[in-house]
Amino acid sequence: MGLMGNLLQSEFRKTITTGLWWGLMIPTVLLAFGWGLGTGFLGKGFVDLASQSDVEQLSDIFGITPDQWRVSLFGIARSINVATIFPMIFGGLAIANEINRRTITTTFLTSSSRGAALSAKMLVYILWGAIFGLAIVLSVALGVILSSDSSQLPDASGWLALATAGLVASVLMTMFGVGVGALMTSVVGTTVVLLLYMLLVENGLSLVLSINGLEQVIGFLPNGSVNGITGSVAADLFMSSAGVVPDELQLALRYMAGAGGAFDWWLSGLIFLSWTAIAFVGGWAATARKDIT
Amino acid sequence: MHDGSGRIVVQNLTKQFGPVTAVQNLSFTVEPGSVTGFLGPNGAGKTTTLRMLLGLVSPTAGFATINGSPFGRLGQPGRVVGAVLEAQGFHPKRTARNHLKVYASAVGVPDQRADQVLQLVGLGSAGDRKVGGYSLGMKQRLALATALLGDPQVLVLDEPANGLDPEGIAWLRTFLQSYARSGRTVLISSHLLAEVEQTVDQVVIISRGQTMYYGPLDHLRQSQQSRVIVQPSDVGALVTALRAEGVQAIEQLPDGRLAVAGVTSKYIADAALKAGVSVYGMQEEQIDLERLFFQLTSGQYAAPGYPGTGYYVQQQPPQQGGWA
Repeated sequence: MGLMGNLLQSEFRKTITTGLWWGLMIPTVLLAFGWGLGTGFLGKGFVDLASQSDVEQLSDIFGITPDQWRVSLFGIARSINVATIFPMIFGGLAIANEINRRTITTTFLTSSSRGAALSAKMLVYILWGAIFGLAIVLSVALGVILSSDSSQLPDASGWLALATAGLVASVLMTMFGVGVGALMTSVVGTTVVLLLYMLLVENGLSLVLSINGLEQVIGFLPNGSVNGITGSVAADLFMSSAGVVPDELQLALRYMAGAGGAFDWWLSGLIFLSWTAIAFVGGWAATARKDIT
Repeated sequence: MHDGSGRIVVQNLTKQFGPVTAVQNLSFTVEPGSVTGFLGPNGAGKTTTLRMLLGLVSPTAGFATINGSPFGRLGQPGRVVGAVLEAQGFHPKRTARNHLKVYASAVGVPDQRADQVLQLVGLGSAGDRKVGGYSLGMKQRLALATALLGDPQVLVLDEPANGLDPEGIAWLRTFLQSYARSGRTVLISSHLLAEVEQTVDQVVIISRGQTMYYGPLDHLRQSQQSRVIVQPSDVGALVTALRAEGVQAIEQLPDGRLAVAGVTSKYIADAALKAGVSVYGMQEEQIDLERLFFQLTSGQYAAPGYPGTGYYVQQQPPQQGGWA
């Protein structure tokens, strides 16, 4: 093994020799499954309601009958978005924990350079982001499949698109966390800031922006853009199977998918990648130059 | 990369933290084959110096090299230098064996090495316990085990006796001496000379970020001055007589007695007899090493100019190895 291989193994061992990974994996899987299950039931209930004759005119809008609406798509996207909070926290603790526990000293003493140590850490957390992403997608899928009619589920290519979007979102959220953690250097601070921002601050901000007709700004924000990755994929998939959808309804559908104000999935991905890069490069610069006293 | 010499060179090293100058123009060399004590009171800049040597803190000016190379260019630093630092931490939920395996991979040694160093430091039976439950002394042993993973040529220890019981200190002493005797370099810091006096061969003494002395401990011992306290019948007459013989280091103590340095008590007795002065009492007094250390580091005796053997303050030419 080369020097980089050594450091990769070292960083990976760090992640599996404490209980943090499964301590976060358990709630991740439970939350993803629970949301999948819950949104599945919700979607099914909605379709049952819409299928009653008095709301049947809705079907004219989409050109297909409600029992063919792939309503589970929205739930899948929403569930993935919620569950990626955990890989983000996992990433947030990567460097913050090392600085807090002062193991960063030994880490730097045993690596050829700080850049090499941080690169190895980055690669290992990309892998973990993917592992969490896979667990999230599988758990959500299981929940949704159990609670939805098969006609409401995406087709094979839809599953693949959502799974890919989920994996990308999870990897990016993890990296975003790593960067914020490196910048904050505090375990509690990182966790609180990440959770407060992603769960409260930006949702409040989005509401204010929507009320004032500035929803296109939401797509540029961290949470808005990362939700846009899976949300846009879900909304696009729904619309592509629903025929002609009026513009006003498109907007409503995107909100339902958690992609209100968000751009296309790839543009959302690029925007969130930029946020990740800002946090990561900032955290990297701070850690690479820091005097370890 | 590095030249494998095992030499540590600190040259004109300076570190400023904002307005505070922690280390000021520090220079010394540590040669392989001996244990060198790095001494100074708390706050003298020892830890900062060691951290600059290990690439953890970037110097404001000057440089420090190990094996002729700055830490960042050693390539595989874990194979060249092992360090036990005060603020080095462990994850409390990780077992000692897993901690060592994490860094065994980073250093690039097989996992069996983790077990070897655990045995070596006497933690063989506690290897599967989580470090959170370790005592301070056990953590110190684990830190040493971590430093030894790469079988390094150079060992740097910052106040390693902290937290060790007397048995542990005795063990560490023997260990470090045999480590140095195998041709390797050991640099060990302490704020107490007495703590390392029996361990070290060489000393570097710093105070307020500056080098006060470096060289063999034996030279420092030899430079310990003894003085003779004498109570004569006629102080003035004895002083005149001694001055006539060329003795200059005479001091009158507050109680009226004389303290004479540089001559034996027999010499003074003879001089007093010749001058017709009665001697009522006489005793020889040694300035012990600890007091010399205190004088060197209290700031008032800031060398140069302290009488000694010529080893005080940067009188050795700077060692320029093959660093590049």
